[in-house]
Amino acid sequence: MQKVIETLLIGLSTGSIYALMSIALVLVWRSTRVVNFAQAGQAMLSTYIGFEIASRSEIFWLGLVFAIAAGALVGAGVDYFFMRVLFKHATSGPAAVVAPVIATLGLLGLIRSIVGLTWGGEFRSIKAPASTDGFTVGDGTIPFSTLDVLIIATVSIILIALALLFQRTNLGLALRASAYAPEIAQLAGIRTARTRTIGWSIAGGVGGVAGMLVTSNNFLSPYSLDLLLVFGFIAAVIGGLESMAGSVIGALVLGIGLTFILNYVGTSLVFIGGFSVLILVLLIKPDGIMAKGKARRA
Amino acid sequence: MRKKIALFILLGWVLLIIGDRVDELRVYQGAQMAMYTIALASIVLLTGYSGQVSLGNGAMMAVGGYGAALTLNNLGSPIWFAFLMAVVCAALFGALLGTAAARLSGPYLAGTTLALAVGLPAIANQFKFLGGEPGLLFDVGFPPERFGEEFTQYKWFFWISTFIALIALFMTSNILSSRFGRTWRGIRGHSLAAELCGVHSSRMKILAFTVSSALAGLAGAVLAMNISLVAPGAYALSLSFALVTGAVLAGISSLPGVVFGAFILVAIPEIADALAGRLGDADKLNHYLPGLIVSILLILSVIYAPNGPGENLRKHLRKKPAR
Repeated sequence: MQKVIETLLIGLSTGSIYALMSIALVLVWRSTRVVNFAQAGQAMLSTYIGFEIASRSEIFWLGLVFAIAAGALVGAGVDYFFMRVLFKHATSGPAAVVAPVIATLGLLGLIRSIVGLTWGGEFRSIKAPASTDGFTVGDGTIPFSTLDVLIIATVSIILIALALLFQRTNLGLALRASAYAPEIAQLAGIRTARTRTIGWSIAGGVGGVAGMLVTSNNFLSPYSLDLLLVFGFIAAVIGGLESMAGSVIGALVLGIGLTFILNYVGTSLVFIGGFSVLILVLLIKPDGIMAKGKARRA
Repeated sequence: MRKKIALFILLGWVLLIIGDRVDELRVYQGAQMAMYTIALASIVLLTGYSGQVSLGNGAMMAVGGYGAALTLNNLGSPIWFAFLMAVVCAALFGALLGTAAARLSGPYLAGTTLALAVGLPAIANQFKFLGGEPGLLFDVGFPPERFGEEFTQYKWFFWISTFIALIALFMTSNILSSRFGRTWRGIRGHSLAAELCGVHSSRMKILAFTVSSALAGLAGAVLAMNISLVAPGAYALSLSFALVTGAVLAGISSLPGVVFGAFILVAIPEIADALAGRLGDADKLNHYLPGLIVSILLILSVIYAPNGPGENLRKHLRKKPAR
């Protein structure tokens, strides 16, 4: 019984990090209709910058703030200097449909190589902001630690902030409007291009947090966030790619499920488990768990 | 048809003569180019013709490579049978995945295949019978003695891979100009219209996925032969990236273009080596410069020549007389 509870808790902490990544993907998907595979690269770049700051100042939270800022800046830059140019050029021919997806892949490779050339490929780590020793329950310790509590708390704060931003502010309304009906939003006086760039930068910042949190007691390398991207994508698909709430639920379910596989079956089946979930969701409920009988838009 | 056969035989003959004239490194690069040609053909068939994006061709190649290696090592079968099994394994895997993929469009398919490319090589790490990190040996043996003492191992690889590539290209070009190729293009152009014409679009998509996987599996086995082993590192995500880049450079729907794409893919490490030598021979440069060049090429070509440099050239040539 204790093992079940500790698996649940660890899964919650893992899932909350997936939630951030999947929100980053959903935000970009809603506004641009592109699954931004470069998100892993953007998050990695922000995490490297956050790591530099955190290891120099020895304050993790300062590093986190810088990672958010860097992520937001990179996200806005990618949209402004890259996606806009891309959409202006690639408009016809057999490659038009696939061009944006392939372009984000190229961007992922580009960021990876730049990070590799700058920081090198060796594994890096920093001192975790809180104890990674598990809590003591009864006469034993469980793997759930203060760090996990901090991770869940940080993610919750960010999720609440995002929910307030999207539901209570004009900017949030503009973001939602230009995601659902760009032309009508534009007619209503919203500068949709600028709103989209803001959306990209929010996604970038959220991705930066995900990168920092997932590596806070783990190693960072130019390849270490690929799996986070994959699980974030799976979570987003569970939520139907459109819904932020759905993707958060999807991420928590996925995190808990994968942790159960990890604790009860073994590492070898974690990825296979995640992939099977992806295939199953796509086959059974391709619109995601939040779908209300509406046709898939793409 | 007869003309085409003659053309391919002529091509093979020319390649054999070239193979005799150049040094060992070039022969090896020739073998790699043949491998890339097959792999790119599989992307052209899938993305350029049937309009499905697959970012996970490296994973399909891994399935083929491991299939071939397991066959060769455990059954002690002849080489040709190992290659055949590579095709069969990858085709089966592709058919399974294609069943799910046929219902997916754009972003879902891209994400699913990318997930596969990230995860599949890592899975090989976890299972003992797949050899883990160091992988499995894949040894096709020495060249037959009757070719003489001069005949090197790499030339043998070159012969085999060129032979396989020529056959694969020949068959692919036939498939693409057959009823299937036309139907795939129809589905890509307008799937609803194609369905109204009586095309069973999801069945045709699964077929495209299967054929494309089979080709990728074959390429995976050829890669395994060229480097004498199958290991997770050989089929890493960077391979899938490189293949997508090659296919875009080839002009995503042009089969002859794949030779050009393969040439670029073989040339990139060479260029990176030369550059790294100039810029100071650091470990970092060797490791990340090829990736940097690949990604820059990919981004530039997707923005400025999304349908391949060939199309830009054609447009350019067509415009001139009009002025």
